[in-house]
Formats: sequence, structure tokens, C-alpha cells
Amino acid sequence: MWDNRCKIAVSGVGYSKVSRTADRPLAAHALDAVRDAVADSGLRMQDIDGLATYPELPATGHAEVDGISIVSVNCMMAMLKLPALTWHIQVGTTNIGGAVQQATNALLAGVCTYAVVWRAMHNPAGTYQNLPGVYAPGAAQFTGPYGFGGPGQGMAVAYTRWLETNNQSRDKMATLAVTQRKHTQHNPHAYFYGTELTREDYFASRMVAYPFCLFDCDIPVQGAVAIVLTTADRARDLKPKPAYIAGYGQRLHFETAGRIGSLSSYMEGGSSSAKLTWERSGFSPKDVDVAQIYDGFSASVIYGLESYGFCKEGEALDFIQDGRIELDGDLPLNTFGGSLGTGRIHGLWHIIEGALQASGRAGSRQVKDANVSFVGASAPIVTGTTFIFVGDPY
Amino acid sequence: MSDWSKVTRPIPVPNEWTKPFWDAARQGVLALQRCRSCGHVQHPPYATCTQCIGVDLTFEPVRGVGAIYAYTIMYHTGDKRFASAVPYASIVVELDDAPGALLAANLLDADYTEAKVGRRVEVMFEKLTDDITLPQFRLAAG
Repeated sequence: MWDNRCKIAVSGVGYSKVSRTADRPLAAHALDAVRDAVADSGLRMQDIDGLATYPELPATGHAEVDGISIVSVNCMMAMLKLPALTWHIQVGTTNIGGAVQQATNALLAGVCTYAVVWRAMHNPAGTYQNLPGVYAPGAAQFTGPYGFGGPGQGMAVAYTRWLETNNQSRDKMATLAVTQRKHTQHNPHAYFYGTELTREDYFASRMVAYPFCLFDCDIPVQGAVAIVLTTADRARDLKPKPAYIAGYGQRLHFETAGRIGSLSSYMEGGSSSAKLTWERSGFSPKDVDVAQIYDGFSASVIYGLESYGFCKEGEALDFIQDGRIELDGDLPLNTFGGSLGTGRIHGLWHIIEGALQASGRAGSRQVKDANVSFVGASAPIVTGTTFIFVGDPY
Repeated sequence: MSDWSKVTRPIPVPNEWTKPFWDAARQGVLALQRCRSCGHVQHPPYATCTQCIGVDLTFEPVRGVGAIYAYTIMYHTGDKRFASAVPYASIVVELDDAPGALLAANLLDADYTEAKVGRRVEVMFEKLTDDITLPQFRLAAG
């Protein structure tokens, strides 16, 4: 087990309004989320001395403009002018989960005391994922000419591979979409709060990139979420009940650029990350009370459930049936609605929910007696990170 | 069947690592990168052998027959250049001569509903410009 388990905790969490279009500069969303998280902790902004983010725009073919389509550390610091800042980072080889892990490391090293991590996501006007322009350079020279565009199609090919080699049916995925939308009705911050989804809606929806229909894809939105991390002893003096980080992992499987459709890269990315998380925390999948698994596209949940070890390969769509992932099921899953419910804000919201469930702060969607709370914070393939939060340190 | 006649495809830009692939394709030959040290065949081309880290790499013709490893049917018309072809099958092919090397392509000369994992396919060539010819795939006879 990890010597540093339960030494760092998530304290406050914060949200901006999630909107369909870029009605305000993204910097304003990020600022709202950061202020909300700091206030949730009962801290003053000048107490914050660490900043971390993953300032990426996943929409292809759009410009990254700081404050408009991304919010970098530079942008945040230029707004906040924190008097006590002692540490900051932007991560690149991991998704937002890596920023949370780096903040954890910085707190353990004692180079900051209250770190804020935010994820701000822009929804550009026009088509979200664009194919290359007139020319397809780099890795796209082998994919773009054939109409392969963004990550949706990349994940869709792995999904057909999974479905047909395992003799499975995409119809079973309706359970995930409908159950998560049900969970969404307990999350007033989510884009789809107040909008129900039935199995009939799922089956009637238009196909986007088979096997993905509309409701297999998270809706692009504009918004931001943020968390405050601090040491366990400091967290206990703050307003919210802390959610302790019992262990974390990063994916250790690497692929050469431009390889498309490989199911094994999802599975090996996920299992390598989860293995570290189980070993460090001392827990195993059967100990988990509640799980958040990244669901930017629905099939990501399959790769997560299987590669993290919750079920065997080829069985994930059977595993999620019969009420298992309901709030009172054996493994309540994506209890905040997931990205399919909140809109495309990436994995920091999964981390937030993992922390809230561990600390008993999830309100009407709280899983009863939840303590061991698992998070897979992004698609396991390339930038995957995993976490376990607990409410009771050990 | 998908109508490709009105589709304007992005044109591949060869670089120093990939130029032999496109030079061969222009001649109607499918050539993949092979490691002279361990014999591993890989795609897309890479700076080193992904099996033994060897740097002595060459391009050699391979038989253009294999199976559909995975596929997606594209319905989304976000990119108007491809809108006239939807729904169309974008496939990933694993060649008999290059296990583990995955080639993207479209399934041509067949309904998109014919795309299935494991189905046998063979290479064909689609001229794009004077410089660029795309390897593509159709269902294999028999």
C-alpha cells in the first residue's frame, strides 16, 4: 500500500453555469467555478497558493485562444493575481486527472498548501470535430482522407470490434444512457437536468457514427468545474467533510501516433492505471461502493468497467443491466449523470462526484453508506487516470 | 451504395517517414514499413521499429489481402465534403502479411451494411491527384 494514502483530500468543489453555446468568454466560466470551489471550502481566494489545469480544447480544427477557448494557468493567474502563489502546472501527457495528481504531489511535497484545479471546456461555433482541411499532414494523412475525423469515430471503430468479437448488441447500451439520465435529475448543475430520456428516445435517436447514436455522445457545452485540494489535516479544519485520496494511477501503455481502432490500447491503458490504484489503496473492485467512469462516448464505460477489473472482458453491457448501476444497485455508476448528463466537461466532474460520494455530500443522489469511491477520469486509452477516494481515512 | 463521386477528400501530405508508402501506392503497390533487424511489419510508419526499437527500416510490398478489424458507419454530415457519401463505411483493415498493423480505408464497391468485423477484403487503388493515390479496400472474392 501507498505510504501517502489519505494524506491529501479534496475539500471544496465548484461549478459554473453550463450552457450550450459560448455566451460568455470561457475565462468567466472558469472564474465562477474556481470562486465557487474556494467558497465551498470556506477559504478566501488569497489563501490559494497552487494552481493546476489541463487547458486543452478537444474540438479539432478550432483555434486555441486563451480566455476564449482555453483557460491556462497564465490566464487564471492574470485574473486572480494570487498574492501567495507558490506552485502551478499545466499537464499534457495526462488529461485533467493528471493535474489533480500533480497537485496531490505538490501538496505532499509541501510546496503549496491549498491548490485549485479547474477544467474549462469551450463549445466553438460550427462543427465540433472537423476533418483536416484541404491537406492531411502528420498522423492524419492515413485517416483524414477516408473521412475519419475526431475521437468519436476513433472510439466507434473500437466499439464495433468489441461488439462483434464478443457477439454483443448495442441495444443494451440504452440502459446506460437512460440510467445516467435518471441520475442527472439529481444534479441541478448538469446540462440535461430537467430533461428526461426514455429507452424509446434512445432507440429513435439519429445515428452519428455507428454504433454511436446521438445519446451515446456527450453534448458539447461551455462550462467549467473546479476543486480545492489540501493536506488531510488542513482539510479537517475546513467547512466540507474531506474526501481523502486513497490511491491513484496513470496509464502506462503507449501507442505510436496515428494507429486507429485498436481495442487493446483502451484495455491496456485502463488496466495499467487501475492496477496502480488498487495496489496503492489496498482495495480491489469488489470493495468499491460507487464508481464514476468517464463517458464522453458511452463505449468508454465498457472499456473502463472491463479494464479496471469490475467485470470480465466482453461482459460490460450485461454487467450494467438489472439495476446494478442504479443509486441503490450493487455498483452505482456515474451518479451525477456522467458527461452524458452534464455535457462535455471532461473528467474533473467525475472526480468531483467521486469525492462528494466519499464524503457523503452528494445530496439526493448520495449512495447509502458509500465509503470506497472509484473514479476513472478519462478514456483509458491515451490520457487515462484513476483514483480512489474514501470518507474514512485508514 | 455510398456515392463517393462528389466527395472531396483531404489530400495526404507525405513526409520523410511516409513518402515510400505513397510512392508505392502511386504505382499501385501496397508497401509497408518493415524492420530489417527483426522483420516486424508496421503501419503507420514510425521512426523506430515498434517491436525491437531497431532503426534500420525499409518499405516492402505486402499482399493487399486481409480482414476488416473494425469499422464505423458515418452518418454525421458535419464535414460537407463527405456529406454526399453518408452513410459510408470507414474501416480498419488488418493485413494477412502484417498482423497488428492497422490501415484505415473506406469499403468501396459494396453497401455500407456489408462492413462486418472479420470480413475478407482486398486492396484497390483510388487516384486522388497526380501525386497521391489512396489504397482502398473492397470485399474479397470468394
